[in-house]
Amino acid sequence: MKYHDATLHVRGESIYIDDHTLPSGCLHAAVFASPVAHGVLKNLDIEAAAHTPDVAGILTAADIPGENQIGGIIRDEVLLAEKGVDFAGQPIALVVAKTADAARRAVRLVTAEIKEKKPILDPREAYAHNQLIQPPRVFACGDVDAAWAQCEYIISGRADSGGQEHLYLETQGAIALPREDGGIKLFSATQSPTSVQKTVARVLNLPMHHIEVEVLRLGGAFGGKEDQASCWAALAALAAFKMKKPVKLVLRRHEDMRYTGKRHPYSSDYKIGLNAVGKILAYEVSFYQNAGAAADLSPAILDRTLFHTSNCYHIPNVRATGYSCRTNCAPNTAFRGFGGPQAMFVIESAIHRAAQALGVDASVIQHANLLREGDEFPYGQKAVNPHIRKCWQILEERCETEKLRADAARFNAAHPFEKKGIAVMPICFGISFTNTLLNQANALVHVYSDGSVGVSTGVVEMGQGTHEKIRGIAARVLGISVGRIRMESTNTTRNANTSATAASTGPDLNGNATRLACESILLRLKSFLAVLRGLDQPDQVAILDEQVLIDGKRIDWDWPTLIREAYCSRINLSAHAHYATPHIFFDRDKNKGDAFAYHVYGAAMVEATVDVVRGTYRFDAVRLVHDVGQSLDPLIDQGQVEGAVVQGLGWLTLEETIHDKTGRLLADSLTTYKVPDIFFAPKVIDVHFLPDSFNPPGPFHSKAIGEPPFMYGIAGYFALINAIKVFRPDWQVEYTAPLTPERVLLALHG
Amino acid sequence: MKLTVNGIQRDITRAQAEKRLIDYLREDLDLTGAKIGCEVGACGTCTVLVNDRPVKSCLKRVNEVADASILTIEGLAAQDGTLHPLQQAFIDAGAVQCGFCTPGMILVAHALLLSNPAPTRAEIRRAIHGNLCRCTGYQQIIDAVEMAASFYGKK
Repeated sequence: MKYHDATLHVRGESIYIDDHTLPSGCLHAAVFASPVAHGVLKNLDIEAAAHTPDVAGILTAADIPGENQIGGIIRDEVLLAEKGVDFAGQPIALVVAKTADAARRAVRLVTAEIKEKKPILDPREAYAHNQLIQPPRVFACGDVDAAWAQCEYIISGRADSGGQEHLYLETQGAIALPREDGGIKLFSATQSPTSVQKTVARVLNLPMHHIEVEVLRLGGAFGGKEDQASCWAALAALAAFKMKKPVKLVLRRHEDMRYTGKRHPYSSDYKIGLNAVGKILAYEVSFYQNAGAAADLSPAILDRTLFHTSNCYHIPNVRATGYSCRTNCAPNTAFRGFGGPQAMFVIESAIHRAAQALGVDASVIQHANLLREGDEFPYGQKAVNPHIRKCWQILEERCETEKLRADAARFNAAHPFEKKGIAVMPICFGISFTNTLLNQANALVHVYSDGSVGVSTGVVEMGQGTHEKIRGIAARVLGISVGRIRMESTNTTRNANTSATAASTGPDLNGNATRLACESILLRLKSFLAVLRGLDQPDQVAILDEQVLIDGKRIDWDWPTLIREAYCSRINLSAHAHYATPHIFFDRDKNKGDAFAYHVYGAAMVEATVDVVRGTYRFDAVRLVHDVGQSLDPLIDQGQVEGAVVQGLGWLTLEETIHDKTGRLLADSLTTYKVPDIFFAPKVIDVHFLPDSFNPPGPFHSKAIGEPPFMYGIAGYFALINAIKVFRPDWQVEYTAPLTPERVLLALHG
Repeated sequence: MKLTVNGIQRDITRAQAEKRLIDYLREDLDLTGAKIGCEVGACGTCTVLVNDRPVKSCLKRVNEVADASILTIEGLAAQDGTLHPLQQAFIDAGAVQCGFCTPGMILVAHALLLSNPAPTRAEIRRAIHGNLCRCTGYQQIIDAVEMAASFYGKK
């Protein structure tokens, strides 16, 4: 039975948070959030709301038994506002009632007296006011200052990329159940059950073992439920703890959009120096990250920006400085790519601008600077098997680039009202959490006496297909059918101290842990049979296609027989294994080290057509060659690539998070925030996986897939720029994203 | 008033008649396959079929669909549990990722194929454009609908 979860999905039987059958007496919570972005909380009046029918209680910061603190990396984020508010949508009080409607009706009766202060919404303004989350971070190599003298061309400029709403279709939510011993069991829509456990334990002043977190699946996450699921779980847990009743809290869409953070907008200054033939000799860049009102994951995201400063290019002299700027936006957070895309957008803007100075297409400079074996990244790691040149070459062959460009030129000459543009995007993305300690995982595997297998890991299934991949890994190691293997829910009592399912590492870390657990069970089974049959070595035994082999010959035992016999002989049929990615390290003082287990490479070409009268556009085709090693599941990987491409295109050309001057989010519903629909998606997405790529650190030589293809979307942005420039060659490009149809129209005729 | 849901006739109380269709299905009938996504009719996760036509059940009151025949995702598979070919095609084509848009997508596609068993890719796009998927790039969803079309043609 392949694709267990998909089968439930197509039947409509899979359970998300909002679908759980609730225990009797379950209460519902709704959040009273700050209507203003910045101010001093003078008074909070909950009287009228408290006396509303069906209201069971209203909780404020004063009701928190432990710490009023949910900050992960830095302790700078309260669960419920106490003295001041720092963003519009910040939770101030929690109303708990018999129904969700009653709770929301009562929320409208809560009033807060807030003395407003001027909000800061722009990261450069925050920087000017010295509002930094942490001291600036600098990644550097070579000698940038000395290198400028050798450059034939020196170009400087600015590039700005916007925020992006995750728009996971399932909104944030949690259900908290009081346990008999005063602890709490939570069903949470989180990518990081351990973070939820830790946060709730801190808020309730309980040891972690008193908090159990269970996750069945998520209806999408994309990073938005890595750190930011904890707040809603903690609020539900607080209410359940205080009222000794089950409590459910599920955000409605407009609440979710206003209360939670997004992809970080960045504003960046760059200076790039090249020699006469387009070799980049020096690159200096300052990133101003709009972190929002609290640190959340911003420091880690800024680090990944710095790691990916030079994308897949070898640049001998680099200085990259990152400023994490505190503003009065909702705390921005993880989103597919985790700061990497923002860095790559800047270097690509710099290259695009330099190409105009050199009078060549950007692809000439891109290609001239691609990494070669042994080249050093600015953080000191050397490129090993950088398949980027191979990907580029195959892409050119598959696209027939010369013909494609000639066709586009002919089209442009023949069509006065439509112009085509083409752009290429090569990518390099490091795989591992950049915080080395997070690169560990554990798996618990039970073989039941009937031969069926249950696998528990810390990985959360959110549509990325990791459960299916791990089932496949277990089946391959044990030599049995994938149908015998069930992926269990993710639960902190079975897998403790887990890292978030993030950084594309789910199958690598948890798959390797599962492999180790299965291997130890397999060894016990082989040893058992070796002793029973008087063999010299356990390795004379093998299991293949559910049949037991000795010295390569089938015996009359199949898998269920083997398991039954092993059980009757009191062989341990369960294993727990721990995996820690070997050989990685990073010195955060020097900002040097082999931070990544490996890198993922690939190249994409995007062809776009702009309607020069209306400013609208379409993406005709995205063709790409992507290095996924030996794919664990090509259909899943293809879906990941296609989805990432469209999401990347959306980020830079369509999706716009708009705040008014007071810091209120205007794009807070699906009528005001546009995400890619089926008409926006390119007509052609041609995905070709690089053949013959092997990757020893990945399970069965696979490579991670989730995030890297997101950055192919950057080619869409530059394809539009190139198309606009065909119509208007004198246009001075402003490298500002998203390049919405409005902005395209202004570029064409403004 | 009455309503037929997945072939079963239901008596509707006055209170139920005032509910949003999505809430009636999810709360009163425990049919949670239709999801609450955006509540403004823009995402399509709440899609059900009313007399074979797709309707966003977050925008309709029960009394607006009086006496109609409603099909939810739970009613698509055969009585014995065998998947409908369209459901199978969604699995085979990789059209399912997080699953939250899936029930709505399948029902919209089902309505299309009932009226047009041999749609072009452009027609499939038009039929599905009111339903959002944040995970796939839509290609595999179009593939799935194409894959299933032959079954409807044979019927």
